[in-house]
Amino acid sequence: MASIALKSFIGLRQTTSENKSIVLSKPTTQTHRNFRINASKSSPRVTGRNLRVAVVGGGPAGGAAAETLAKGGVETFLFERKLDNCKPCGGAIPLCMVGEFDLPLDIIDRRVTKMKMISPSNVAVDIGRTLKPHEYIGMVRREVLDAYLRDRATTAGATVINGLFLKMDLPKSTGSPYVLHYSDYNAKTGGAGEKKTVEVDAVIGADGANSRVAKNINAGEYEYAIAFQERIKISDDKMKYYEDLAEMYVGDDVSPDFYGWVFPKCDHVAVGTGTVTHKGDIKKLQIATRLRARDKIEGGTIIRVEAHPIPEHPRPRRVLDRVALVGDAAGYVTKCSGEGIYFAAKSGRMCAEAIVEGSENGKRMVDESDLRKYLEKWDKTYWPTYKVLDVLQKVFYRSNPAREAFVEMCADEYVQKMTFDSYLYKKVVPGNPLDDLKLAVNTIGSLVRANALRKEMEKLSV
Amino acid sequence: MAMALLSAAPPNHLPNITLTQSTAKHCAILKPYFSFRLKKQPLKYQCLASTSTRAISDHEYGVGSDGSPLPAAVDPETKFQDLKWVGGTWDLNQFLKNGKTDWDDVIDAEVKRRKWLEDNPQSSSNEDPVVFNTSIIPWWAWMKRFHLPEAELLNGRAAMIGFLMTYVVDSLTGVGLVDQMSNLFCKTLLFVAVAGTLLIRKNEDIETLKKLLEETTFYDKQWQATWQDETSSSSKLN
Repeated sequence: MASIALKSFIGLRQTTSENKSIVLSKPTTQTHRNFRINASKSSPRVTGRNLRVAVVGGGPAGGAAAETLAKGGVETFLFERKLDNCKPCGGAIPLCMVGEFDLPLDIIDRRVTKMKMISPSNVAVDIGRTLKPHEYIGMVRREVLDAYLRDRATTAGATVINGLFLKMDLPKSTGSPYVLHYSDYNAKTGGAGEKKTVEVDAVIGADGANSRVAKNINAGEYEYAIAFQERIKISDDKMKYYEDLAEMYVGDDVSPDFYGWVFPKCDHVAVGTGTVTHKGDIKKLQIATRLRARDKIEGGTIIRVEAHPIPEHPRPRRVLDRVALVGDAAGYVTKCSGEGIYFAAKSGRMCAEAIVEGSENGKRMVDESDLRKYLEKWDKTYWPTYKVLDVLQKVFYRSNPAREAFVEMCADEYVQKMTFDSYLYKKVVPGNPLDDLKLAVNTIGSLVRANALRKEMEKLSV
Repeated sequence: MAMALLSAAPPNHLPNITLTQSTAKHCAILKPYFSFRLKKQPLKYQCLASTSTRAISDHEYGVGSDGSPLPAAVDPETKFQDLKWVGGTWDLNQFLKNGKTDWDDVIDAEVKRRKWLEDNPQSSSNEDPVVFNTSIIPWWAWMKRFHLPEAELLNGRAAMIGFLMTYVVDSLTGVGLVDQMSNLFCKTLLFVAVAGTLLIRKNEDIETLKKLLEETTFYDKQWQATWQDETSSSSKLN
């Protein structure tokens, strides 16, 4: 099914000018083409110093961006307001991230190799049979991962500033710097920091879902989901069950448009749920999630309660002049699974690479076209992944019958293999066409059956 | 004896009571199981002092004081019980009628189970997992029950519309049925009529179809928004 969806959508990103003619049938496509010229190659050399770039936000996106920039010879300032921040997060990273970012294996608390999907009528399906011995989903603690990436950036030559970004002054003319105002949290004084400014040539906004950089460039708003989770410490024998297993609960009671989860953390489990459309009911949804998992988390104690926003789609504007957004600030969280850490780090790295290349290792000034290159590369590489997950969410998170069909489909080995391959390696790989056809037929069959049962259920209630 | 059990159950377990009433006559063997479940300890969730440092949320969500024990009303003690529900799936041997499985009964039973679970969500347990899969019911049983009546309805509608339109066109143009069928315009109209009966069953369906169409392209538009912005910003820079 993945490849069927792929065939219709991969054409979307062949060239951006093609899309323009589909989306707006205005003759402005001609002027748009001129933008493709590599303007920065003719931009002035930066004399006497290297290019200065500020990365606002020290999470995975900021850390990855700062490291790549520093390695590329750019003078980098990484702003982070809370160096020991335990960002509330699901904490799952795909296998490819470990390889691509050279993560040491000891920052991974757990390797999840089994998942259980539980339908609204409690049909439970185990997925993970098709995983090879070396494949797993890594569960990390954000404070550990973020600190590691920031330290690597520092080693590469970036300057980490413990401060809160307040606002930035946009440049008055081409080539003049951005002035960033921030509160420096000097360890000695504690309390409120002292106001300082710094001048930079480009800014990468990696400051998360409530990005201030995004506000400064009027990037626009996006819809977001609220993810609410409770960290629950359960007894050792119950913890054994979650040794390498994560659970996903679907159902209207648990979430009308997302799913409830039990993810194992270092020595406790995180039980949570999320929603976009029914944010006011989040407490009720959480109680329902706890109920569904009751037998397995009984007797546990809640050690922490946390909530965080998850963007649902990219902001209308991700680049303006010499400011670019990456990670959650840009809205790079997938639908259906709500995965964001890998995409944050990857987008940070991609943006930094575009800046390094456009500035010829920090020797020239960059401009918007260089940052647009990062956007183009990003959209082209990951658009299929995002679109497929969007289609999956639209089809299978619609209603209880759809969720029942979803869980039924997950029992199929081919589905499991495709799902894990695309999740772990972030490549939408077209599978065997015959198997895809069989899968499509089975999917439609499941959906039809589940919906037929639902119609009968409605007759009962009347 | 079964009645004594029922009176012992708390009043808010009304749905459970209706179910057990139906199986009350057969309840004798299940009784020990029932009393075991009623004596089970209520759930305990305690809040440690550290939860006062919670709400380390980026969003001003205002997480209230949580960790209070689950209110008893929401904590159903009984699970889905049915004689024919064995080992997490329907025991097809109990659905025999004249020596053959009565698939309609199986479908009815599953519908009742799903309805009950939707109204009373149950904890999923590892000890008795649910392994029922709707594909054990053969395709022709589904067709007979669901597809055929609807197909009859839609075919009837299409036939009525077709007959009426043939008559109207014939009376207006004098072209008979056979000649209409060899005309491309009439064939197109026929196609539209059939497709229309399939897709539009109620007035609301037109809106639903329009919304569906918009939905398929909405996500794409959100992603391309940053590129549409490009032309306006290029004119600003120039």
